[in-house]
Amino acid sequence: MKKVLENKTAIAIFVLPALVIYSVIVILPVIWSLYYSFYSGSPGLKWEFIGFDNFLRLFGDSNFKASLAVNLKYISIVMLGQVGMGLLLALMFYFWLKRFKNVIRTLVFFPVVLPTVAVGQLFQKIYEIQPNYGLLNSLLNALGLTGLIQPWIGQASTALGSLCVMDIWVAMGFYAVIFYGALLDIPGDVIEAAKIDGAGGLQLFRYILAPLLRAMIITCLIFSFSGTVKMFESATALTNGGPGAATRSLSMYMYNVSFTYNKVGYGSVVALFIFMLCVLGSSIIRKFDIKE
Amino acid sequence: MKRKVLAGILSATMMTALLTGCGNKQTSDAGGQTEAKTESAVKTESAAKTESAGGTEAAGGTDSVKPSAAEDPKLTKNMKILSIWAEDNDNGVLIKALCEKYQKEVNPNFTWDYEVVSSDNLRQKVATLVASNDLPDMFVYESGKPIVDLIEAGKLVNVSQVLKDFNCEDALNPSAVSLLKSLSGTDDIYDLPLGMNVEGFWYNKALFEQAGCQVPKTWDEFEAVLSKLKDAGIQPIACGAADKWGATRLLNAYLVRIAGPDVMAKADEGISKYTDKDYVKAAQKMQDWANAGYFGEGVNTVDMNTAGSMLMTGQAAIFYNGSWFTSNLNDASQNLAGEDGIGFFNVPVVDPYVSDQNSYSMNCGNILSFSQKNYDEATGWFMKYFAENMGDLAMEQQGSVKGYNYTVSAEGASGYTKMVLDTINNAESAFTWFEATMDNEVQNVAKDGIQTLLTGELSAEDYMKSIQEAWDMSQ
Repeated sequence: MKKVLENKTAIAIFVLPALVIYSVIVILPVIWSLYYSFYSGSPGLKWEFIGFDNFLRLFGDSNFKASLAVNLKYISIVMLGQVGMGLLLALMFYFWLKRFKNVIRTLVFFPVVLPTVAVGQLFQKIYEIQPNYGLLNSLLNALGLTGLIQPWIGQASTALGSLCVMDIWVAMGFYAVIFYGALLDIPGDVIEAAKIDGAGGLQLFRYILAPLLRAMIITCLIFSFSGTVKMFESATALTNGGPGAATRSLSMYMYNVSFTYNKVGYGSVVALFIFMLCVLGSSIIRKFDIKE
Repeated sequence: MKRKVLAGILSATMMTALLTGCGNKQTSDAGGQTEAKTESAVKTESAAKTESAGGTEAAGGTDSVKPSAAEDPKLTKNMKILSIWAEDNDNGVLIKALCEKYQKEVNPNFTWDYEVVSSDNLRQKVATLVASNDLPDMFVYESGKPIVDLIEAGKLVNVSQVLKDFNCEDALNPSAVSLLKSLSGTDDIYDLPLGMNVEGFWYNKALFEQAGCQVPKTWDEFEAVLSKLKDAGIQPIACGAADKWGATRLLNAYLVRIAGPDVMAKADEGISKYTDKDYVKAAQKMQDWANAGYFGEGVNTVDMNTAGSMLMTGQAAIFYNGSWFTSNLNDASQNLAGEDGIGFFNVPVVDPYVSDQNSYSMNCGNILSFSQKNYDEATGWFMKYFAENMGDLAMEQQGSVKGYNYTVSAEGASGYTKMVLDTINNAESAFTWFEATMDNEVQNVAKDGIQTLLTGELSAEDYMKSIQEAWDMSQ
């Protein structure tokens, strides 16, 4: 076996087929969109070479800037929310609810398997205000907090927050299951020893659990980052980017530009920007890993 | 280093997925179907552009194939049809029935392939087909800006010429023809109409009675009615602002009444600016109404379907929509107000010298175009049959007017359908919807902004400024 792996030809034979397919369906389109970014219009209709105009336009485009701001806010809130809530849930299963953990784990994991469009519809009903109060507003009404009743997804100030809550709710079960698995891997005697040494809940987490979970936390952050930077379907299902542009992400803007405005060239520039954002984001998260 | 490469490759995968995967996603408004139906409409009075621009000349040859005989020569033809309606839905039913009838009664050698694409993907699909020079024989499309591009590229059959060659020019309703002409900015038509719609305010008669209101004729009366309804504890207007166009139509209605029917065309041509006084005033009116609570709470969360059902179930008194709304009104399970519970009135007048009572917001629905490349005599004969028989077929099967002359009577139609027919017959002139003259980018800005305008997060001046900026960018 060792001999085979030392043979360069053998390696090439193993790797080449996959590499060729990967290049054709992944790398080639990326280069293609780079090529597109120098053109205006869409292929077939008003398709003209315009050099770097699309790139210059990006800097003066207020819609683009607004979408970027929305996307960054969304990434930071949802990423922290999903991973944080997942970790809290896992700790809860581990320390308090060991007996019911299976039932609760199933319940919390359940939203993960729901289709996004169904979740969007569900939350539209929860946030509803007209013609009838939805769950949230009815609850506020019953508690006498009528001042808090509002069109949660109908105004720019609360729409993004409402969307984030939905996406955190959907995915936290997924992370809880991962963290729970990681917690089970921590030897029980380490935790016991810490407890005997007088470590309270916070100290236990800070000095024992967090360092041991570190690798898993970083993995989860990357999962979450790659999920949130794409922000598209949940926002489309819940608010369709509205009201105004309050929940319109970069990918939604890219979609609009490319396929609604028929400016595939400019859309490609936005796509390339998203690409750079991905590279930048994941390398920042990786930095934490390397420091160790 | 390895990690960086890995991260890079992962991101590349992700981005590619974005570009390719998103291609087929729908970003439609909840009422996409209806939207498509209305968006492709028409302008008549607002056709100032036609006159000033002197019409757009088709770049392609308009040499049509003349009929070789007086009777249909029963030529063999397999017609490829691209539609946005399934064969059991809306206009799809009519197109299918007409093809079957033509095959059975006239030309047994005629066959057809029917392909459906969602209305949201129609433009993209047609753009792709144009790029590969593969347009189907006959396809549903949108009038206005989209069709102008195809006409200029010489891709479409000159329908006027065909109708003339085959001697059936009088099969089309003249007002539909003039709507189509003005919308494409040409002296000839390059499409066949698939609808004839009128828009205005539908109101719940029981709620009007309860609040002691009369149908308003002037804008002042209208505002008095709204405030009276509000005082009576009734939500005055159900506005489907979740679908955005539900709100821009209201703005447009007022704007046309204060500034005339060609107001949007003027702004599009650069004669006036969207930031001018009247435009801002109309936007301000919408915001004032929202602030006064005329749209109820959370106007941006209500889509057009919900707004329509609020009217029919008595939760709101007034609802702006087009005549296609009669299909809901005719459905007893939806319309709790009953066969005579809902009335219709035109947009009330501010100044009859600017825009008068018999001027309605009208449109022609989606249109039907024919590929110039595939055009042959068999297609011509089919078009003749289509134009001559569509009017009767639509009236018999759906009780609707499609922009063709019809000979059957509308006696069997419901009260609502008749009301619409009467209204269309009474209309002396027409104006178009808010976004008719805008290209996609300006349209999106106008539609997105209307929501934050209604919540007060965007001022009327800033709203109109954002539209003007988008217009500037698109020039």
